[in-house]
Amino acid sequence: MDERPISRILIWLASASFLFLLAPVLIVIPLSFSGDVFMSFPPSSWSLRWYASIGQHPKMIDAFFFSLKLAGAVTVVNLLIAVPAAYALVRLAPPGAATLMSVLTAPLLLPTIVLALAMLIVAARAGLLATPQGLFLAHLVVTLPYALRIISTALATVPIAVEEAAATLGATPLTVFRRVTLPLIIPGLVAAGALSFLVSFDEVVLSLFMSGPRLSTLPVEMYHHVESRADPLVAAISVLLVLFTLFIVIVVDRSLGLARTFVK
Amino acid sequence: MPAEDHVSPVTKHNADETAAPDRFLSLQALTKRYGDTAAVDAVDLDVRKGEFLAMLGPSGCGKTTTLRMIAGLVPTTAGQIVVDGRDLTNVPPYQRDMGLVFQSYALFPHMSVAANVAFGLEMRGMAKADIRARVAEALQLVRLTGYEDRRPGQLSGGQQQRVALARALVIRPLILLLDEPLSNLDAKLREEMRNEIRDIQRRLGTTALFVTHDQDEALTMADRVVVMNKGRIEQTGTPEDLYERPRTAFVAAFVGRTNRFPGTGAGEVVHVGGVTMRCARPVSGPVEVMIRPHRIHLDGSGERRADDNHASGTIIRTTYAGNVVQYDVQAGDTVFNVEQSTDATGALVSVGTAVTLSWSVANTLVFEAAP
Repeated sequence: MDERPISRILIWLASASFLFLLAPVLIVIPLSFSGDVFMSFPPSSWSLRWYASIGQHPKMIDAFFFSLKLAGAVTVVNLLIAVPAAYALVRLAPPGAATLMSVLTAPLLLPTIVLALAMLIVAARAGLLATPQGLFLAHLVVTLPYALRIISTALATVPIAVEEAAATLGATPLTVFRRVTLPLIIPGLVAAGALSFLVSFDEVVLSLFMSGPRLSTLPVEMYHHVESRADPLVAAISVLLVLFTLFIVIVVDRSLGLARTFVK
Repeated sequence: MPAEDHVSPVTKHNADETAAPDRFLSLQALTKRYGDTAAVDAVDLDVRKGEFLAMLGPSGCGKTTTLRMIAGLVPTTAGQIVVDGRDLTNVPPYQRDMGLVFQSYALFPHMSVAANVAFGLEMRGMAKADIRARVAEALQLVRLTGYEDRRPGQLSGGQQQRVALARALVIRPLILLLDEPLSNLDAKLREEMRNEIRDIQRRLGTTALFVTHDQDEALTMADRVVVMNKGRIEQTGTPEDLYERPRTAFVAAFVGRTNRFPGTGAGEVVHVGGVTMRCARPVSGPVEVMIRPHRIHLDGSGERRADDNHASGTIIRTTYAGNVVQYDVQAGDTVFNVEQSTDATGALVSVGTAVTLSWSVANTLVFEAAP
């Protein structure tokens, strides 16, 4: 560790910013162990009652499993679309590839609320409102840009010479992809998959517009719960969500190394 | 190879024509155009079986494009590539049996050394036990036995290039194609690898095509050298041919160091900035004169003949480089670069000394000046 004063100041600054960013999340943890009927900080008594009460909210549990299935399906289909699309854009580089890439990743820059409104209109016309298909398509639109960006970057770092070497050694284009290109972009695939999953699982604005009384995702269900009742139930669920997210991140980290996956 | 299955009447004709061992690889009017510019412009070239041929030229001269067309990685615009009587022009790279070694090594980073070398054999559907034997043999050839389980990232540049060489050779390629394979190595290693590649190629009798921009590499390694410039072949010949008997000013200037003077031809003699010299062939009009620095003698050095060219001048710069000394000699309006080998007893001639230069007529190369 460097002993220069400037680096010590930087460490303090970094710690302070982290604390500032994480403080709201950290407050949720004691809140979830509250024994009170209403959310207040600090809690006047402690208990596990809100964790226990999750079981008595079947809508919450249904919403969790729906969110899980939705995020899973979105992730798989996302990768199935993004890998060939990225390959075409990066390797075949058709005329206008750069423009096409910008168009495809535009939803990243667009305000989500605008996107949500547009999708509401389209989905209403197509009769897809409050259907799993509608939510699936909406989530696909917002997660695809992430996957496309990450996989394109991963592909661009694979030297073409390596693929050419495989070809001269007798590998057909499909074999080159399977034996050389694909293994080399696996960190990118895992990162893209994890990010798609988390973005879909977390998505509130779009889901709020696209869900209905009989079908909603976990974040939407939590939002509705907070609107009507201010009890610490959502805090308990939030803690479980944080653990779940951490679990995914740790799995990714363990299988590939976080630095290699998220930092390019 | 089940050649009969592939051979069309046209290629059959070629088969008869090129069965001769001195036309193992034959490029016929090979052309590659990008838009309006020709990267490779109607190149004709025949390579003998077992020959080590270097393609030499500045960057952008088309040598790498030619090599990549032979490997099948770049589609041709026109012309033919015939190997061992078979027309490969439109055969995809994975059916060509070419062993390609890249400047960047291009090893598979996610595979062990053994898996890298085994890749080409696996693609040929060879049995596991045979693959193991062939991989071991190939690694022994490049002196990397014991490195089987290493990853490319754990090897030095020279070791990586030897793995690449083993990977290309293990499939027993029709032709070993080497694309600037030594350019990423440091000077000492480069010299070692030169000998190693040359020895292995001789021992296996593999036909090899070596692309380089380094004239030393081309001259020291190759049986024959092809000098390319602007997509065309300037000259093909042995290293000695190119150095002693360059056919164009470009070859004379590109292969080896040379003095290069603009002059005016007047029959048997040429006038170069105040110096008149005789040349090997009669010329007239604007010419370029080239004389190698180490073929010019300073005062009494070297054997003198009566019919040598002479010039008197003054030394204006002395550069000592250990094995040689370079003198810049002002004679008339012309500055001659002269190179003398040193010996322990010889003293340097100091700046300002008046000297007489002499060189033979045979070493006075004259070319028509470029328009």
